[in-house]
Amino acid sequence: MESGIQSKAFETLSDAAGTLANPSVEEWKEGGGKVLGYFCSSMPEEIMTAAGLLPFRMRATGSTDTELSDAYLSSINCSFTRHCLNAALSGALDFLDGLIVPNSCDNVRRIYDHWIRLMRTPFVQMISLPRKAGDAQVTWFREELATLMARMEEHFGVDISEARLWEAIRLHNETRRLLRRLYDLRKAVAPPITGAETLAVTVAGTAMPKAAYNRLLSELLDDLAGHDGHTDYRARLMVMGGELDDPGYLEVIEGQGALVVTDSLCFGSRIFWKNVDEGVDDPLTALARFYVADRPSCPRVFGQYEQRAAFVREMIRDFHVDGVILERLAFCDLWGFEQFTIKNDFQDWGIPLMMLDREYALSATGQLRTRVQAFLETIGEGGNGPEG
Amino acid sequence: MDPKDEKRLERVFEEIATYEAIIQMLEENPTDLSHLHLPLARNVLRQHKRTVECIEKGEPLAASYFTNAPEIFTAMDIHWFHLIAQSFGGGMENPHMMEDLEGVDRLAVASDVCTLLRLGLYYLDAGVLPRPTMIIPLLEPCDGVIGLHEALRRHREWRDIPAFAPDPPYHGDKRSIGYYADELRRLVSFLEEQTGKRLDMDRLREVTEETNRQYALWAEYNELRRSVPCPHNHVLAMACFALVQTAGSGDPAHTLWYQALIEDGEKRVREANPETPNQKIRMLWYDVQPIWFNDLAPWMEQEWGVCVVLCMFSYAPYTMIDTSSEKALFEGLAKRNLIDPPMVRQARGVADNFLSDIERIVRDYKIDCVVVPGHMGHKDGSASISLMREKCRDIDVPFLYIGCDQFDRRYTTIDEIKDKLSQFFETMELG
Ligand code: SF4
Ligand code: SF4
Repeated sequence: MESGIQSKAFETLSDAAGTLANPSVEEWKEGGGKVLGYFCSSMPEEIMTAAGLLPFRMRATGSTDTELSDAYLSSINCSFTRHCLNAALSGALDFLDGLIVPNSCDNVRRIYDHWIRLMRTPFVQMISLPRKAGDAQVTWFREELATLMARMEEHFGVDISEARLWEAIRLHNETRRLLRRLYDLRKAVAPPITGAETLAVTVAGTAMPKAAYNRLLSELLDDLAGHDGHTDYRARLMVMGGELDDPGYLEVIEGQGALVVTDSLCFGSRIFWKNVDEGVDDPLTALARFYVADRPSCPRVFGQYEQRAAFVREMIRDFHVDGVILERLAFCDLWGFEQFTIKNDFQDWGIPLMMLDREYALSATGQLRTRVQAFLETIGEGGNGPEG
Repeated sequence: MDPKDEKRLERVFEEIATYEAIIQMLEENPTDLSHLHLPLARNVLRQHKRTVECIEKGEPLAASYFTNAPEIFTAMDIHWFHLIAQSFGGGMENPHMMEDLEGVDRLAVASDVCTLLRLGLYYLDAGVLPRPTMIIPLLEPCDGVIGLHEALRRHREWRDIPAFAPDPPYHGDKRSIGYYADELRRLVSFLEEQTGKRLDMDRLREVTEETNRQYALWAEYNELRRSVPCPHNHVLAMACFALVQTAGSGDPAHTLWYQALIEDGEKRVREANPETPNQKIRMLWYDVQPIWFNDLAPWMEQEWGVCVVLCMFSYAPYTMIDTSSEKALFEGLAKRNLIDPPMVRQARGVADNFLSDIERIVRDYKIDCVVVPGHMGHKDGSASISLMREKCRDIDVPFLYIGCDQFDRRYTTIDEIKDKLSQFFETMELG
């Protein structure tokens, strides 16, 4: 799928997604700002923004090998964490002034154990994220956030007042609204943006100050308003799964004639499909509820499969999806079991599904192309695309 | 009985027959350890028969785990079976293992996911798991268990069965214990709702006082395992875990078993008559005893004079529970099920949990080498290997990491494992 976006904003966003220390990060640091890294989409960026820090979601863009981290993580650990640790050891993440690690998964939580031994990052915090989504879990997580906030205040010498928290929540909710507007454009028969381009946009949002990001998003939306949409696709696909921050992966898929029109990804729609509730008294409770219970979950949260399935079905319906690709990083146990239930449900629903295991660094693209082509053939002529 | 239930109980019936045969054999040909082996076999048999009875009579039956506070179930008189124990029924390898593993290979679950857990899903999918009336899933220590239980809960065979899973926090401080104690209270409410039974606190106190006695005796027995030579091999060490922390937890008969075990151990230490003679290498096998251990451990004993002094499950770091108030009791149960139990103890939290255990066990039990089998499912464990190796280097004890599947011999064959071990013993000049 050819990219046709003529937009300065898109170029800036795409650059930010394609590097780690992107120009926004550099500018922020040059201005004396501090950058706080975090793993997993379940960490409230709002608190970091309220503290005047730049939240940076961990990834290892550009990493091609794991030579340095192989001494610490094994070949049965997921390649995302191996590349992240490698990037850290190689100095590519030296711009971080702090790191927050949740017990999001077995691979990520061990990063904490190595990080505190190997790196000299001055502020590293482990945060306990519940595995269910009930009221007791919201209360627990609120306490975790309060503790984290107190430690941030002390370490960075900042004051995170309620007013600043609300201000940050409003700013981040604005981001979410803008991203949903971007996704709305993709419901059209001729979406003006590809899946790969959209992923670049969402990834960029996790690596630059939100106010600047919102400005770029608004500009991009304006630019796309007059843009001719894509009509040259064979099928409309949705991509779902865990950690995926590489637009190149979707480019390969779209290179076979598909158009990725939506997703259920934690670098994608799952982070912005809902807003943090601005109508409650306590901002920390609002954040805890959002991250634990309200936003679309991943299989890390027990007892929420029904909610996840409903979200996926809603996406399939609203975006006129012909088929779904479930991507999983090899050695991820959470998505390993989810595959089983999803496969059965998709069979019942009569929706074409293809499950792909992958490595973090894009490789074996020939095989990926072949599998996607075969999948597109099974979807056949019955799709929702203009050629369908 | 409903033919579907009959099929679901097929494996339980098989195990009943196996254990009846074992009991008969032990009764007819007593050895000097029969008095310790017999109660173990009888316990498995009793639990299995009770499972069948629950299904026949339509009584409440829970599918649960050893870390879901078994004392509560005993106190409420709710029978439960261990949800993923079928692959190693009562410590023996399931005779259907090869065919089961082939079934597992066909499941739509990635092959890099823990085989034990994939087996659990396969048993439900193949219709050979007893149908419980409630599910108490486990959400610790690894991602795989969360995934498995969500898949079981959503499986078309079980999706109508109510489930409640206590949520384990990651930290181990006072607040975490308080939170987990509240989760256990919510578990009690769930059980009460499902069964119409009420938890009698006096009964819970009584059961917990009995398990306190058993844990204390187990710790006392483990003191004996510090002796050189070690009085018993790995089998009775592992049995200590099975009796106190499974269905039937708190049974006073088990207390007598621990007493008999200590007596036998003391006698062997006194008379320098260990179960395994010619012990040359004292090993910490730092993981579960795999299903193929019966093929490996005797070889290690005979060829190299290895005594597996402790494994992950036979170490007893349990703290006694203060039963003086309801609050203390629940907090004690929370600690016992969140912080103390094997595998969960190490794998749930930070890597230091592995390291401090290794250091303490190596020192206290005069360990000559630490062997980590490195199960393919343990993503957190394999990410901690370098730290364990470093710890062993610091405390000057040889360390070996194997890399295997504790539930599937095809992954690394027994011969390959034996080769690795031999090379290790030779290089380290052990034995
Ligand atoms: S898949 Fe879930 S646990 Fe993994 S990074 Fe995404 S949100 Fe976090
Ligand atoms: S064997 Fe390891 S990976 Fe498998 S369930 Fe147990 S802790 Fe999890």
